[in-house]
Amino acid sequence: MTLALEARGLTKHYGKARGIEAMDLQVRSGEVFGFLGPNGAGKTTTIRLALNLIRPTRGAIQVLGLDARRDAVQIHRRVGYLPGELALYDTLTGGELLRYLANLRGGVAWPYVENLAERLGCSFTQRIATLSTGNKHKVGLIQAFMHRPELLILDEPTVGPDPLMQQVFHQLVDEAKADGRTVFLSSHNLAEVERICDRMGIIREGRLVAVERVEALKARALRHLEIHFASPVPSEAFTNLPGVRDVQMQDAVVRCAVTGSVDAVIKAAARFEVVDIVSHEPNLEEVFLAYYSGDAGHVA
Amino acid sequence: MLRNVLLKTLRDYRRSLLWWGIGLAAYTTIELLFYPSFRDFPGLEEMVRQLPKEIMALFAGDVASFFSPKGFLHDQLFFLFVPLLFIAFTAAFGGAAISGKKARGTLDLLMTHPIARWQVVLQKFGAMALATLALGGIFWIAMAAVSVAVVMEVSPWRLAQATFSVVLLALAFGSIALALGAYLLNALAPVVEALQPYHTLSPFHWYIGSDPLVQGLNLLHVASLLGLALGALALDLLAFQRRDIAV
Ligand SMILES: Nc1ncnc2c1ncn2[C@@H]1O[C@H](COP(=O)(O)OP(=O)(O)O)[C@@H](O)[C@H]1O
Ligand SMILES: [Mg+2]
Repeated sequence: MTLALEARGLTKHYGKARGIEAMDLQVRSGEVFGFLGPNGAGKTTTIRLALNLIRPTRGAIQVLGLDARRDAVQIHRRVGYLPGELALYDTLTGGELLRYLANLRGGVAWPYVENLAERLGCSFTQRIATLSTGNKHKVGLIQAFMHRPELLILDEPTVGPDPLMQQVFHQLVDEAKADGRTVFLSSHNLAEVERICDRMGIIREGRLVAVERVEALKARALRHLEIHFASPVPSEAFTNLPGVRDVQMQDAVVRCAVTGSVDAVIKAAARFEVVDIVSHEPNLEEVFLAYYSGDAGHVA
Repeated sequence: MLRNVLLKTLRDYRRSLLWWGIGLAAYTTIELLFYPSFRDFPGLEEMVRQLPKEIMALFAGDVASFFSPKGFLHDQLFFLFVPLLFIAFTAAFGGAAISGKKARGTLDLLMTHPIARWQVVLQKFGAMALATLALGGIFWIAMAAVSVAVVMEVSPWRLAQATFSVVLLALAFGSIALALGAYLLNALAPVVEALQPYHTLSPFHWYIGSDPLVQGLNLLHVASLLGLALGALALDLLAFQRRDIAV
């Protein structure tokens, strides 16, 4: 198994402030890896270390089998990067910018660039200064994908609310994966990562707290259920069910938290007349709490 | 103009260069147009000869050359104002190239393309040198043309040498600005005071010390200015190689 990204004891302090702490991370070739964590967790720091934009305080990171510091130019040739805080050359048009960046790469297949622009609905003739944030984002995505890099490093690529754009983005990731290329993306949105990624790493306060197959995480996911009955039910019916906790009764409504399969709860509820079931996806903080309360999975 | 970092940087500066060129040419033209009336003004020479030596030294070189074409050019253009304009142009260029607000934001994008950091610094320096040379060219053409028009006897070759000397001076400051941009950032103020005793290291020392209009270019002085520019460039290269790129 070859690794697209491998960090060993990777640490970055900004003066006295924490960046990331002793990170060990392995991203396999050909997978779509989601790097999940709240703002300030250290996602951008890790990515910028991988691209030699900043130097580690300790530890090392290898990208495509090459040393991030020593072989930076070679790595950059084979990587496509979407910065988290995208800044483009305002005075150029989208087309000019992409030409310039393509020239810095010694040229790319231009028909593919045009194809990407068409699919994303991106204008080549408008000056970047006059583009909306969403349209700038499109230019940013195109420059990351245009040379069909072996490894895509995308820092929060799915910020835009535009559903069409999200759909095209998912296609692009799928295509890259079908080509056997690797995608490493950071996000603070669990649902997004679940939808796109094969595996994910969860980072919190500068530390990697878990790495997990998305399938496995879903199987053990914490869910909040709210079951509305036609009339009040006995509370004993829902206590001591496997994976179920925090059971609350209020009139004819039962609320509980379920880890993993909801089968037992549904079967218990089926004995009474059910009016409605509402299920809430856990937010990121709860996923972390699940890890901290000892339910944490081991590294997959 | 988008083939590489050098050309792209020049492209970013084309408008600025145009306006600086127009301004400098206009200023030069107006100054030189005054030369005939200055030269022919009755009694002015007598008056100047009676000024105390110290005042003369402050405003010009020596009295003998004050009314010659070279003396006039030296005092009116080359002594202070033109070098300052060139330095302002080039140092602003150097300062903006890497640490300017715009350049800093887009550095992430540039530096994650397959181009070594020293290459970026070198190409930005190249763009700065070419732009300064171009401004020198504009200045020289304006000066040579108007000096012919007002019948001022001075060789265009000497004017070119004097202009080149100004360009070198500006480049020395420009590469220092580039170096500061590449690393030192805000730590300038204390450095300036600490450097006072070493004024022979100052580009101005080598610029003022020579008088290319009268004597032609002095190789030692040219070498010193070039050395300074290249020394600062070497610092840029080293510094930028190491530093974290801030967002
Ligand atoms: N240039 C910097 N100087 C000081 N602290 C920084 C800098 N960049 C990031 N940090 C700090 O490092 C931590 C991780 O930040 P970052 O990697 O940007 O997180 P994320 O991308 O997950 O939101 C944060 O606490 C942030 O304040
Ligand atoms: Mg970030």
